[in-house]
Amino acid sequence: MTAGEIAEQLAQLREAGRRLRRRSIKEVLDVLGAVLDGWRDSSSSWRRDLEEQLPSATGFTRPLVEEGLRRALETWSSDALRELAVRELGPLDSLDAGSDRRASGFETTAVVLAGSIPMPTLLALIAPLALRSPVIAKAASRDPVTPLLVARSIAETDVELGRCLRIASFDAADEDCTRALLEADCICATGSDATIAAVQSRARPPRRLVVDGHRISLAAVVPPDSPERRSDLAERIATDVALWDQLGCLSPIAVFCVCPQPERAAVLGEEIARALANAEKSWPRGSIEASAAHSIAQQRAEAELRRAAGRSVEIHASDSTAWTVIVEDGPELRPAPLHRFIRVAPVPDPEHLIDAVGPLRTHLAAVAIEGFCAQTAGVARALAELGASRICAPGSLQSPPIDWRHGGRGVLAPLARFADIEPIT
Amino acid sequence: MREPRWNYDETRFELLALEIFAFQFEHCEIYRRFCEGRNQTPSSVKTWREIPAVPTSAFKEVELRSFPASNTIHCFRTSGTSSDVRGTLYLDTLELYEASLLPTFRRFVFPEFLLPEERAAIRVLAPSPAEQPDSSLSHMFGVVIDALGEPGSGFDVENGELLFDRVLMILVESAASQVPITLCGTAFAFVHLIDHMNRHGVMLGLPSASRIMETGGFKGRSREIPRAELCSELKRVLGVSQERIVNQYGMTELGSQFYDSAIIGPSEPRRKLGPPWARVVIVDPETGHEAATGQTGSIVVVDLANTGSVLALRTGDLGRAILDGFEVLGREPGADSRGCSIGADAILNRSSP
Repeated sequence: MTAGEIAEQLAQLREAGRRLRRRSIKEVLDVLGAVLDGWRDSSSSWRRDLEEQLPSATGFTRPLVEEGLRRALETWSSDALRELAVRELGPLDSLDAGSDRRASGFETTAVVLAGSIPMPTLLALIAPLALRSPVIAKAASRDPVTPLLVARSIAETDVELGRCLRIASFDAADEDCTRALLEADCICATGSDATIAAVQSRARPPRRLVVDGHRISLAAVVPPDSPERRSDLAERIATDVALWDQLGCLSPIAVFCVCPQPERAAVLGEEIARALANAEKSWPRGSIEASAAHSIAQQRAEAELRRAAGRSVEIHASDSTAWTVIVEDGPELRPAPLHRFIRVAPVPDPEHLIDAVGPLRTHLAAVAIEGFCAQTAGVARALAELGASRICAPGSLQSPPIDWRHGGRGVLAPLARFADIEPIT
Repeated sequence: MREPRWNYDETRFELLALEIFAFQFEHCEIYRRFCEGRNQTPSSVKTWREIPAVPTSAFKEVELRSFPASNTIHCFRTSGTSSDVRGTLYLDTLELYEASLLPTFRRFVFPEFLLPEERAAIRVLAPSPAEQPDSSLSHMFGVVIDALGEPGSGFDVENGELLFDRVLMILVESAASQVPITLCGTAFAFVHLIDHMNRHGVMLGLPSASRIMETGGFKGRSREIPRAELCSELKRVLGVSQERIVNQYGMTELGSQFYDSAIIGPSEPRRKLGPPWARVVIVDPETGHEAATGQTGSIVVVDLANTGSVLALRTGDLGRAILDGFEVLGREPGADSRGCSIGADAILNRSSP
């Protein structure tokens, strides 16, 4: 695709947007709700095609894609979308022309997609449309499949709305195409910190910029005494790690085991290892590049050496690099090679937990917590104050509600232009 | 190492490697436990390829020393930014280190030198060993200048500053007199030199026998440019042909170094070659077994010059075998596959002042 073609598409989108804005937000939301309900339906052709095509495009295994979609889309319904709109924009009936509180999208929105997990792509594409802002999206190099299928699902549901979404495909290093894309009035970009910096430096003001750089998630748990409950907790943590092969910002990279007895972290680590081995049977990890395998092998060997040097480190790992659990002897932050590599670190109490998480605060997405009993509210509040925008239970990290305010910001509101019309006599 | 002719004798290498492995297994307790943890001991390891390799990054956390601590005569420390923990190599002798580096440097940078007394004009864009005694690179350059440098050779980084005026004066003189010069230094120092010359509109034509030896990465100390671009820029501003620009692959934790084949085999595929007492194996990180030819894998070095620490090291780099040598692909090609998640280390490095 050339810069000229992108410019032409933006012009066409502006025209399509004029027609779209003749419809009410409520009506558009109904269409997008129907799209979401279609995606939730595991027998829909879009869902089946995604399950079929995503593995070869991304390296994820098919069972993993099926399970990941099933869990993540379970609550993403038309009702949930409508509730999200009301929560962030206000009562739907009063948003359109003639009301005293208007919300509208920008004339055009450019979306720069990243990674290989489909749900963020789905939401990133429908959110501007919900505000009646036409979208041009640059597909992530790792997932050329999802944006096209989302575009198809919208076009099949509503032809006019389908004309308001274009998928651009070009090399990220193509300066001309990037600049042409960033001529849109609102720019939403997700990706590495370097990608975000590049977008920010190229976008010409005045533009609305909504960006999300690197994020990480964690788990912090008080290990239960009961073996059954411990095993259940380990299974849920392993699910959070295994889904999407730990490549999402909601994938935990470490489990803090909050307990004065460090040996209980070792027991929990062993249980998580068992659960990851089981997960590997149900939803095998996908293929990885040599660099990722190299990083895993390197971190395992480093842990072996720390153990050899007398530190209390335990290593549980598959024969291949499929999964790894390193039980550390302290909360020191260490490299996280991802791809189902998790560290379990003991911390004696919640105060030490907050200290340990502190250095990560600028990049914190979510923390799964459990077992704090009467201290739960205090721990959740402290983590939220550090910067976590989602506190949830282990096992649910990978199925955020559609209205989760990613980055502490909101889903629709950051893309909207609000206007308050006061009574004038 | 002092033998006049290099002989890549596999049997001899095998014997020495297994002997050193047994010695280090016995004398380095941490390494012994590491090997035992893998059920790889001198009685079970039958070839040098099976010797357990420790990651070079481990030198930041543990003391890998195969001699009593009281016998330590010198320490080399890895370079790094202020936020990095630096790794340490403890040495009970410098003799072996120097005996290894000199013939290797000579072979790959000055292959035409036939007589021991032959010398070259050498300028080094790095601090002297007196200024940075814990830098193995500075030490290496010091040894090289002592053994191979003509009078007037020396270091052009002082008090942490690259002395542009002095370097340029020497380079201009070389270009005018057509007396060849050898420039050695870190890649980032060369980037600074290029930038300085560009700023001042200086372009020189050094004599055709001049050469450049560059090593190391950028580590945030200059703008980063791909190696091919570095070579073409050096050619443009200094007139040194790409066949005379040699990249060295070495690290503090290694007693031996590897060099581009550019000067000794200009018509052959460019690859890294080393001395007979060091071997490189490209290991498939997924299986831990040797990678197929051309397949990307982890670079593992077995270096007989590493008597004082551990001879088998798994580097942080990926590489690929080429003919009798290898190519270094760097740390993380393809790291973009990670998506929006990221390691805590990367965040911490970025958050550091």
